[in-house]
Amino acid sequence: MSFLPSDSSLPNPSMKTPRRSVLSRHETVLLIILAVEWWFFSAGGRNFNTLDNNFDIIRHSVEIGLLALAMTAVILTGGIDLSVGSLLGLCAVLFGALWRDARLPIGWAAALTLLAGVLAGGFNALLIAGLRLPPLIVTLATFSLFRGLAEAITHGMDTYTHFPETFQFLGQERWAGLPAQFPIFLVFTAGIWVLIHRTTFGRSFRAIGFSAEGARYAGIPVERRLAMVYVLAGLTAALAAIIYTARLGQAKADAGTGYELFAITAVVLGGTSIFGGSGSVVGTLLGVTAIAVLNNGLVHMRQPREVAGMLTGLLLLIALSGSVLLKRLATLRQRWQSFPKPTPRISTL
Amino acid sequence: MTRYFREISVTLALAALLLALAVVAPSFYQAQPLLSLVAREAPTLVVTCGMALVLICRQIDISVGSQFSVCSVVVGLLTSLHWPLGLLVPAAILLGAALGALNGALVAGLGLPSIVVTLATMVTWREGLRWLREGLWVDLPRDTQWFGLSQTVGQWTLVGLSLMILALLALAMRHLAAGRFVYAVGSDVEAARLAGIRPRWITFAVFVLTGAFTALAACMNVAQSPQVDPNSGAGLELKAIAAAVVGGVAISGGRGNLWGALAGLLLLACVGPALTHLHVEAYWEKATHGAVILLAVVADGWRNRKLDLR
Repeated sequence: MSFLPSDSSLPNPSMKTPRRSVLSRHETVLLIILAVEWWFFSAGGRNFNTLDNNFDIIRHSVEIGLLALAMTAVILTGGIDLSVGSLLGLCAVLFGALWRDARLPIGWAAALTLLAGVLAGGFNALLIAGLRLPPLIVTLATFSLFRGLAEAITHGMDTYTHFPETFQFLGQERWAGLPAQFPIFLVFTAGIWVLIHRTTFGRSFRAIGFSAEGARYAGIPVERRLAMVYVLAGLTAALAAIIYTARLGQAKADAGTGYELFAITAVVLGGTSIFGGSGSVVGTLLGVTAIAVLNNGLVHMRQPREVAGMLTGLLLLIALSGSVLLKRLATLRQRWQSFPKPTPRISTL
Repeated sequence: MTRYFREISVTLALAALLLALAVVAPSFYQAQPLLSLVAREAPTLVVTCGMALVLICRQIDISVGSQFSVCSVVVGLLTSLHWPLGLLVPAAILLGAALGALNGALVAGLGLPSIVVTLATMVTWREGLRWLREGLWVDLPRDTQWFGLSQTVGQWTLVGLSLMILALLALAMRHLAAGRFVYAVGSDVEAARLAGIRPRWITFAVFVLTGAFTALAACMNVAQSPQVDPNSGAGLELKAIAAAVVGGVAISGGRGNLWGALAGLLLLACVGPALTHLHVEAYWEKATHGAVILLAVVADGWRNRKLDLR
C-alpha cells in the first residue's frame, strides 16, 4: 500500500535506539484499557464476571480472532485483505452445499472447504504477488466476487441447517471444561506466534513490510512469501467458516459480513502498523479481547449493540492519535535535550 | 491513444455492452426505466467525483457511505421541519464538510493512514446513527419529492445537476492550479512540497470537498423518495471506489480523470439491468461487479508489466 509516508518512519542511524520502557509499550496501554473495561463492567453489569460469561466471550470471538491473527501476518507485510469476511461467507455456503447437496460426510466437506479457502487465497496471491497489483484493490474486488458467488450459490435465500449433533458440538458444547472451539484457537494462535516471532520465515514478513526492495536485496523471495501470507489468510477464513457454521448451526450467504473490518480494527488496535513492518501477535490478541469484552460488557449493562460498535470506532481513533501524539512528544523532548548541539544538516547535491 | 488507453477501453466496453443489449434485449431501451436507472445513479456519480479526487490525491475515504447516511437522515429531518431548499442544501453541505474535515485533520494533521482513519469514522458514524435513530425511516412531507416537480422533470434535474458538477470538477482538475496540485501531491508528495505546494493543506481540502460532495449527493438522494432510508449509504464507498478504479483512476495516486470514472460508473450500473434482460439470475450481480473490477485491474497489471519490460 502506498499512502502518505509518515515523517518519523525511518530511524536516525546516528542515534542509538533507546530501549522503550515497559510503560510506553502499546501492549501495556491495551492491558490497562482491558483492566478498566473489566473493572467497569464487573461493577456495573449483572453476571458479567462469571465463568459462563467468560466462556461466552471466548465463544463469540474465536472467528474474528482467527481472522485477526491471519490479518496480522498480512498487515505486517504492508498489505491488507478485505476479502476475508466474504470468503468466510463463501466457505460457509460451500461447506453447507457439499454436506447437504453433494451428500459428502461432514469430515470430507470440511476438508474440501479448507481446500477451497486455500484456492481462494491463492487467487488473491496470484494477482497480488504474481501481477504485482495493489492488495487493497485486488481484495476489494474479491470482496465483491466471493460474496457474490455465495449469493449466487444460495440464490440469495437458501439456508443450510440441521447439521449433525456431533458437528455442532464443535461450536456449542464444552470439551474438557472449555468451549470446544477454544483448543483449536489456542493451537492456531501458538502456530502463528511461532511463525511470526520465532522463525526466519515469519521474520521476513516484517522485512517485506518495512521495505520490499530491501528484503529483495537481502535475498528474501518476496513474491513467494507474499503469496504464502494471502494463502494463509484464505485457509484461516475457511477454518473460521467451519467454526462459525458449527456455532450458529446454520450457513447463509451473509455469514461473516463486516468481519474484515473487525479483524483490521483488532489488529490496528493491537499496535500493528498499518504500513507494515512492525507489530505483534500478543497485541492482536489483546485488541481482539478489548473489542470482545467491550461488546459483551455493554450488552450486560443493557446498552444497545450499536453503542459498542460506536465505541470501538472511537477507541481505534483515540488509540491511533494517542500513539502519534506520544511519539511527537518524545521527539520534541529529544530535540529539547539535544538543543545545544543540533545535528548538522548535510545538503546533498 | 496510449495516454487515455484506459478511458477509451472502458468507454468501448460500455458501448459494446449497450450494443449487445440493443440486439439481444431491445426492451432495455424504454425511455422511462432508462431515465429512472440513470437518475438512481446520479447521487452515486456525485460521490464518485469526490472519491476520484481522494484517490488521485493518493488517499482513500471509506467513510463516505456512513457520511451519506448521516447527511440523508439529517436532511430528511430538516425537510420535515419545512426548512426551505435554499437553507437546507447549504446546511447539509456544511455538515458534510465538517465530517470530511475531521477525516482530513486526522490524515493530514496527524499523518495517520487514511484507510484506518476512515475505517474508524465509518464505523463510528454508522453505529452512532443506528443508536440515535434506532433504524427509523424518516417520513417526508408530501410535496417535497422531486422538489415538488413532476417525476420526469425531477429526474432530469438530478441527472443534469450531477453531470454539471462532474463537468465543472473535471474542468477544474484539468485547468485550475488547485486541480493540478492534487495530481502533484498524489504523484509525489516530496516533489510537490519542493515545488512550493503545501501537501497537507491540499490533502485536508480534498477530504473536506469529498464530505461536501457526499452531502450534496445525500440531498439528491432524499429528493428521490417519499421516505429516507437510514441505511441508504451502506456499501456506497465500495461502489464509488469500484467506479473510479474501473474508470482508470489509479489507487496509487496521481493518475486518472473524472470522465473515466463516469464511464466506469455507467458500466457497473448497466451490469445489473443487463443481467435481468439477458435472463441471468439477479444474484449474480455482485459477483459480476467483482469480476469487472478484477478485469480492469488485471488489464492494468499486464499493461504495466509490458511497459516495465520494454
